[in-house]
Amino acid sequence: MISIPPELIRIVVGMIAVMAFVALNVLILVYAERKGAGHIQRRPGPYEVGPHGVLQPLADAGKLMGKQLLTPKSADPILYWVAPILAFLPVLLLFVPMPFGPILTVQDVNLGLLLILAFAGLNVLATLLAGWSQNNKFGLLGAARAVSQSVAYEIPLLLSVLCIAFQYGSLNLSTLVEAQGSWPWQWNILCQPLAFLIFLVSAFAETNRAPFDLPEAESELTAGFHTEYSGMGFGLFFMAEYANMVVVSGVCTALFLGGWKGPVFDGVWWFLIKVYALLALIIWVRWTYPRVRFDQLLNINWKWLLPLATANLLATVFLMKVF
Amino acid sequence: MRYEEMGLTEGDFYSRNFEKGARDDTLILNLGPQHPATHGVLRIIVEMDGEYVIRAEPVIGYLHRMHEKMAEGRQIYQYIPNMGRVDYGHALGWNWALVGAVERLAGFEVPERAEYIRVITTELNRITSHLLWWGAFTLDLGAITPIMYAFDDREQLLDILQIATGSRLTHSSLRIGGVCADINDRFIEACKAFIPHFRARLPMYRDLVTGNIILRKRLEGVGVFDADLLRRYGASGPVVRGSGIAYDIRKAEKLSVYDRFDWSVAVRSEGDSMARYLVRMDEMEQSLNIVEQALDSLPAGKVMMPKAPKVTWAVPKGESYFAFEGARGKVGIHLVSDGGKNPYKIKLRSPCFSNLSLFAEAAQGTLLADALAILGSLDLVIPEIDR
Amino acid sequence: MIETLFEPLPVLCLGKCDPARTGLAWSVFLEAGHLRQATEILYRARYCLEDITAIDAEEGYLGVYHFDHMDQPGRVALRVLAAHDAARLPSIADIFQGAEWHERETTDFYGIVFDGNPNPVPLLLMPEMTVHPLQKEPGARAKLADVLAVGEIVRREPGFDLIPPQAAAGSGSTEA
Repeated sequence: MISIPPELIRIVVGMIAVMAFVALNVLILVYAERKGAGHIQRRPGPYEVGPHGVLQPLADAGKLMGKQLLTPKSADPILYWVAPILAFLPVLLLFVPMPFGPILTVQDVNLGLLLILAFAGLNVLATLLAGWSQNNKFGLLGAARAVSQSVAYEIPLLLSVLCIAFQYGSLNLSTLVEAQGSWPWQWNILCQPLAFLIFLVSAFAETNRAPFDLPEAESELTAGFHTEYSGMGFGLFFMAEYANMVVVSGVCTALFLGGWKGPVFDGVWWFLIKVYALLALIIWVRWTYPRVRFDQLLNINWKWLLPLATANLLATVFLMKVF
Repeated sequence: MRYEEMGLTEGDFYSRNFEKGARDDTLILNLGPQHPATHGVLRIIVEMDGEYVIRAEPVIGYLHRMHEKMAEGRQIYQYIPNMGRVDYGHALGWNWALVGAVERLAGFEVPERAEYIRVITTELNRITSHLLWWGAFTLDLGAITPIMYAFDDREQLLDILQIATGSRLTHSSLRIGGVCADINDRFIEACKAFIPHFRARLPMYRDLVTGNIILRKRLEGVGVFDADLLRRYGASGPVVRGSGIAYDIRKAEKLSVYDRFDWSVAVRSEGDSMARYLVRMDEMEQSLNIVEQALDSLPAGKVMMPKAPKVTWAVPKGESYFAFEGARGKVGIHLVSDGGKNPYKIKLRSPCFSNLSLFAEAAQGTLLADALAILGSLDLVIPEIDR
Repeated sequence: MIETLFEPLPVLCLGKCDPARTGLAWSVFLEAGHLRQATEILYRARYCLEDITAIDAEEGYLGVYHFDHMDQPGRVALRVLAAHDAARLPSIADIFQGAEWHERETTDFYGIVFDGNPNPVPLLLMPEMTVHPLQKEPGARAKLADVLAVGEIVRREPGFDLIPPQAAAGSGSTEA
């Protein structure tokens, strides 16, 4: 009799749960974004489909799935359809080391942070493939911008994460959460506020969210790197963007905001509350600020975030050595 | 991307004409004619080296309806509604230019009350035009929310204008010798309620949008126009007032009753897109002042001159030119009449036409995002360019 | 002011108009060969180009160039006649770059060719069009003397017969 190792069962069950979680979150985020946008812009947002528009995301999903999947005549069909799949599938993997609760982690990976950062880099490849394979000048420009932006902002992201890793000597997300206390003043944000800010700004840029959403700058490049995609191809990019937002908020929560630890009862509910608070912030910022110009965007990275992140890391290491 | 060398028959007449002078290593991109940022059916062919615009050429005519031929085919009274369709943004400005040209040629005197009504409705129309510009411009730059607020105010104004002129958008309420109808108390009440409401909104727009660091970094120093450039292309309106030239036809030619009100010409000296932006925001305030003062000092009387020309009246022989300060610049009507039933010729001088023609020179060497910011700061309405 | 500016230029007819009746301060008739010189004088005096258009009259196509000044407003109309069968005028697009578009539009509508225009392709009409819409039927054309505002004639070339001398009296347009 073959005994199935319990870890395998755990991973399978966990992945199914993660897929359900991601799908549900995407639906919730679509709704929250449009409702948030509506109320910020003095209008009700989706209202017709379902009570207060709650079924709108389902209607959107139905619309996207029902659309014809067009491949432009001069596009490379293999690369063209690999790109959205490559954008979406690795995101599911990013949830494996995420510490949802004290025991609610799909797999306690020792190099959890490294796993997340490494697979988040696949997003760049997907963007590049998408922009290149469409054979559309706007798409090409969008992809070029997206790649330089993503590659540039990964560095301060990594450096700010390293500060926390150095402080606790581990890349395991669960360890980092457990090292923080339950009360807000015991969270990492208090001892690494600069790293938190750098991480947040880099996260906006990595997920191509406003004010750093130049690659999809609607008013300049008519949708940039996903110009030619229709139906579910666009839907996959869309879902990948929202899922990335959740990942980034989850990592930020785990690293800086105490993860699943909270004032009264520790647990997964605190994790979710913090993640959704960060998501609300991301949505809020999108509808408030204009877009940063591309060279200014890269300037912010190379002239401000990178030196600050490096200085922060050096200071962390120095202080740790001394104390 | 050499079309002929590649043996392709892609592109049309204008892209083939454009790429005659193109370099080998550059990308030729078509912005439009369907494009979110070009405010209408405008096409700009750009030659790009990476993100930099080497050469830009606007291709217009997609919305050309030959209004000047229509002028020769209908009587002058029948032509007044055309003016609203030429520029839907500031229709009353074009209305005024046309009736002003006829009144100048024929030597007609407009009664005082009619002048005041013209001023009030035209200035309210200017505010709606600037609000539309503001919402669309910030939308181009990525701020998706201000247009909703701008349209909220604009909707109220359009409803107010409907009381006085009969239409929300393409007004044709000015007549040769006066205005079509007198204003009533409902209009005056609505105006008086709107003025403080809008005055309270402008500081909010200033703090949230104009003062935003991202917006300022997008606009400051972008697209600096000097006086020589503006003269060579015949630019007018906020485009020149943003470069320190205080040229406003309402004051320069002492039009109508504008000199009876206490208002100032909005002028900024930096010459960049931010200056043009601020000039239009200031102009909204100044227009509000004018409307308030005009409402307070509205004289009684008739709104049409005595022995007003009938609908079938023919313009007497002669030639006249009348320029008015529209929201976008100097609106000019050159009217030539041989005494016949229809005018002999009407030339529509469109401010956006001249303003857009300087885009090719102004956008050279800029980033694409900057070129689009410059385009937005010119406040273009394509139907006015194409006529 | 225009009087002194155009002193060295051999104009055909220089008239001072009444701006309150015509919107023009000066009306200047020129030979096509002197158009560029006049334009350069105006450019150095900081005039702006308002528009370029044409009037299809019995005597030919009259190209009309309107200039205005931003500091001391006073509109100048330069008028140059081109024959119907040889409708060519020199381009001023290298002095006032805004003229490029105005000239292209006038070519579209009237068929006048502007020699030296840097980009002589149709501006508003389709490239395939062969008709020039604003040209008039030969019987429907008017005489220039009837329609133009020439003002009080200050200077006049002896051989200039477009405007008969009687029209000089008066301050603006003639009324029917």
